[in-house]
Amino acid sequence: MLKTISLTVNGKAYSGEVEPRTLLAHFLRDSLRLTGTHLGCVVGRCGACTILWNGTPVKSCMVFAVQAAGDEIVTVEGLAQDQRLHPLQEAFWKNDAVECGYCTPGMLMSAYGLLSKGKKPTEEQIKKAISGNLCRCTGYSNIVAAIKEAAVNFTK
Amino acid sequence: MASWRLGASRFLFLVGGGRSKNLRSLRNTKNTKLNITMDFPIHPPIGERVRRKETLRFVTGTGRFVDDLLPPGTLHVSFVRSSCAHARIKAIDVEAARAMPGVCAVFTGKDIAQHVKPLRVGGSSVLRPVKLYPLAVDKVRYFGEPLAVVVADNRYLAEDAVDMVAVDYEPLPVVVDPETAMEPGAPAVHEDAGSNIVYKYHFATDGIDKVFQDAEVVIKERIRSHRITACPIEPRAYLAHYNKEEDSLTMWSATANPHSLKGRIADILSFPEGKIRVIAPDVGGSFGVKIQTYQEELLLPYLSRELGRPIKWCETRVEHMRNGRHGRDQIHYIEIALKKDGTMLGIKDKIIADMGSTYTVDHSIMAAALYMTGVYQIQNYAVDAFGISTNKTTHGSLRDIGKADASYVLERLVDIVARELKLDPIDIRLKNFIPAEAFPYRNPTGALYDSGQYHLAMKRTAEMAGYDRLRKEQADLRKRGIYRGIGVALVMEPTSSSRIHATGGYASCRLRIDPSGAATVFSSMGEQGQGHETTLAQIVASQTGIPFDRITVIHGDTLPTPYGFGTGSSRSSVVLMPSAWVAGKLMRDKILGIAARQLGVVPEKLEIGDGKVFAKEDQEQSIAVMEIVRTAYGAIHLLPENMEPGLEVTGYFVNPNIDYTPDDKGRMNTFSSYPYAAVIAVVDVDVETGMIKIVKYTTVHDCGNMINPQIVDTQQQGSIMQGIGAALYEELRYDDEGQLLSSTFMDYRLPSVEEVPELALEHIITPNPFTPLGAKGAGETGMLGLPPALCNAVEDALSPLGVKVRETPLTPDRVLDLIEKAQAKSAHA
Repeated sequence: MLKTISLTVNGKAYSGEVEPRTLLAHFLRDSLRLTGTHLGCVVGRCGACTILWNGTPVKSCMVFAVQAAGDEIVTVEGLAQDQRLHPLQEAFWKNDAVECGYCTPGMLMSAYGLLSKGKKPTEEQIKKAISGNLCRCTGYSNIVAAIKEAAVNFTK
Repeated sequence: MASWRLGASRFLFLVGGGRSKNLRSLRNTKNTKLNITMDFPIHPPIGERVRRKETLRFVTGTGRFVDDLLPPGTLHVSFVRSSCAHARIKAIDVEAARAMPGVCAVFTGKDIAQHVKPLRVGGSSVLRPVKLYPLAVDKVRYFGEPLAVVVADNRYLAEDAVDMVAVDYEPLPVVVDPETAMEPGAPAVHEDAGSNIVYKYHFATDGIDKVFQDAEVVIKERIRSHRITACPIEPRAYLAHYNKEEDSLTMWSATANPHSLKGRIADILSFPEGKIRVIAPDVGGSFGVKIQTYQEELLLPYLSRELGRPIKWCETRVEHMRNGRHGRDQIHYIEIALKKDGTMLGIKDKIIADMGSTYTVDHSIMAAALYMTGVYQIQNYAVDAFGISTNKTTHGSLRDIGKADASYVLERLVDIVARELKLDPIDIRLKNFIPAEAFPYRNPTGALYDSGQYHLAMKRTAEMAGYDRLRKEQADLRKRGIYRGIGVALVMEPTSSSRIHATGGYASCRLRIDPSGAATVFSSMGEQGQGHETTLAQIVASQTGIPFDRITVIHGDTLPTPYGFGTGSSRSSVVLMPSAWVAGKLMRDKILGIAARQLGVVPEKLEIGDGKVFAKEDQEQSIAVMEIVRTAYGAIHLLPENMEPGLEVTGYFVNPNIDYTPDDKGRMNTFSSYPYAAVIAVVDVDVETGMIKIVKYTTVHDCGNMINPQIVDTQQQGSIMQGIGAALYEELRYDDEGQLLSSTFMDYRLPSVEEVPELALEHIITPNPFTPLGAKGAGETGMLGLPPALCNAVEDALSPLGVKVRETPLTPDRVLDLIEKAQAKSAHA
């Protein structure tokens, strides 16, 4: 039984047919072909699939696509504007906060959700914001440094 | 608060002038066939913290991983997996599954076995190799083993149909404990192997028993390293596409070993290897786990050929925990002979390695057995190592394979000895370390350590950590009931292993400067986060003067790249990077040769810089590199005599210090470089909750020259965090029935950002004399240090309670259990 849903992703309107059980992560990846959102565990533990759902970071493997009908989604593809990297992306690059790159989109989106609140976060707040995002390569320190640096330059 | 002492506070010991001496003394050491000079100049951007080329696509979400690929007409598979750890398959009923909507086909192991050849797996110390089929045929040997496969229109429908497959099992006795499995009469995991002892290795130096008889002190211990796995955040993923018109096969695989995989697919399908192309696109981490060939990986090409459609499988995390290769899990019965003053005289070890069911490689056994004397001047050594088959998931490569077990057991033992002899753990190490002037050093098994300054590294670590002050603080804190511990270790990592037919001992890069003046490097090794696109470009830029931004690195695709072995054993910097250096040198020679003819100056008097080749003595005498490029492609009458047109070269590098066969006493060197790290861990143990807090972790690391110090630092940080997981949180636990109890991230806990301790990291640079870049392997020593240092620290913290740490990981419940046991013992006493 397919349902038609419409939603906004990265400022663009999309609609598509999904089964009620289709995960939002799979809808974004397989139907909309926005493959920047990654899947690492599909039980909400690794955070690679983190996106912004109506402004809040959520793990898109824990949401059915139908739940997001009519809503606003931002994925990693929506960070750079007019061919210019977002300060977070610049800071991740500069601080070597990336190795294999698989957890990176989720990390960026969790950090983006934090910085979107508009206040300069403390180190503890940064850590809390990405505590649900696992990275096996970098050991996190460069990621924390990158988010700190981006927080200084960030304007929403 | 987490902080890394990096950048400006870095402390470097630059050691120069030692190489020629090292090479001279090397010629006098046994078993060495070397007569080479490695004194090559190294110029920027080698050694610079250049930011990584590959990062741009990862931060924009435009990386391309296997699961991101979806060719039209792709079918998806899901596997029926064994719910028993050991059982005969009586029957599999697939009819209901076949009738499910969207299901295209269902195959069982029997269906497949008729059409493929099994993969023969083993290793040099194997007693009897076994045959590995893509799906279990007559019986299953571990929980989660694939025994049937469903092919359907999408992954949801495939999983639905898997649930409809009914398997009738005849349960067999399960054996999960390797020591039980060794006993005569234990249930046979492989009946045709004759015994569950599937690997055996013995080595002994002359007179070892006499050393132990005469020793003033002998200390014996049983120490076990526990079973863990790598857990890259990208699970395994494969996509096979058979093209009927061309009768060719393309396989996209999240593999760290594309060229070897190509050969294996050709073997099992009896398909011409030249018609197979394996592409490892972006791969989301490996840490060893993706270097080996898996059952599912061999099956997909068969299914695609059979069904004429692209076939894709992306592993779930639960499948990864159950079926991805496992690591560690060795029991060591180790003895050390000493003088009363702590001088180490000899080591005897018996290793029992749990290889799981379908044992595939023996690297873990060999890498442990050859290095149990570690960083100490011990020339008396004996080992009996046994690889045991059990009803667990297959054991295989995992960051620090075998070496982690060796360094953990040895560094634990040294600490236990220090406590017994009432010596300071740093003093006993300093007393016994191999001195810097003894390198290159042969250990008793013939392993040839390239270089090292262990004393300096240990002393500097102690200085950074404020060791003497820490001991005073510890005494004060104890009075206040705070259990603070200080753990010391110096861990060494044999890197760039070379075994016959397994890992090669060489690598290559093809280098092309195209008519536009841009360069492309075709690397024989893939990457899974190591940053080769950056470091290879740094090397080529350094040699040829082509700007870094105009160099592209192609890797992981078997069609354009030269043959090579997988990315493992930290071999990139030891063998791949030097091959790019050689390719760059060949290209440089060609450029200078062309310039020499045109300028009328001999090549030796020419230099490359700022897009020109110029005479060193008169910079006005110059020619643009672009002019040379145009000559090479379009004006070949201006080339020197006998020079080939075009600008394309292939550089090979062979590790010069490898022995492929043992000498008459069984000695050989199978690894090419030996990085190491000294560490001091400070912990507080909460005796009420069993929680361990890492107060500070200090380490001094030596991987020789660093091609890109930023990349080394980041890898080292990640490696340290993986070590924290291994020591404190992660464990693959099986129950007596062989069911895996920790198969999700809920019960197999990876460290998060919350667990990052305060860290201080510095480097010593002792160049490796056996590569032109002076680099050793990097990225693995971090993980090595944590298990011994943290266990030593916890035992130190709880020494007033008499706690002995012999089991890991040190989860809160285990720590409480250890305290309880120690208290019960002292009450009993």
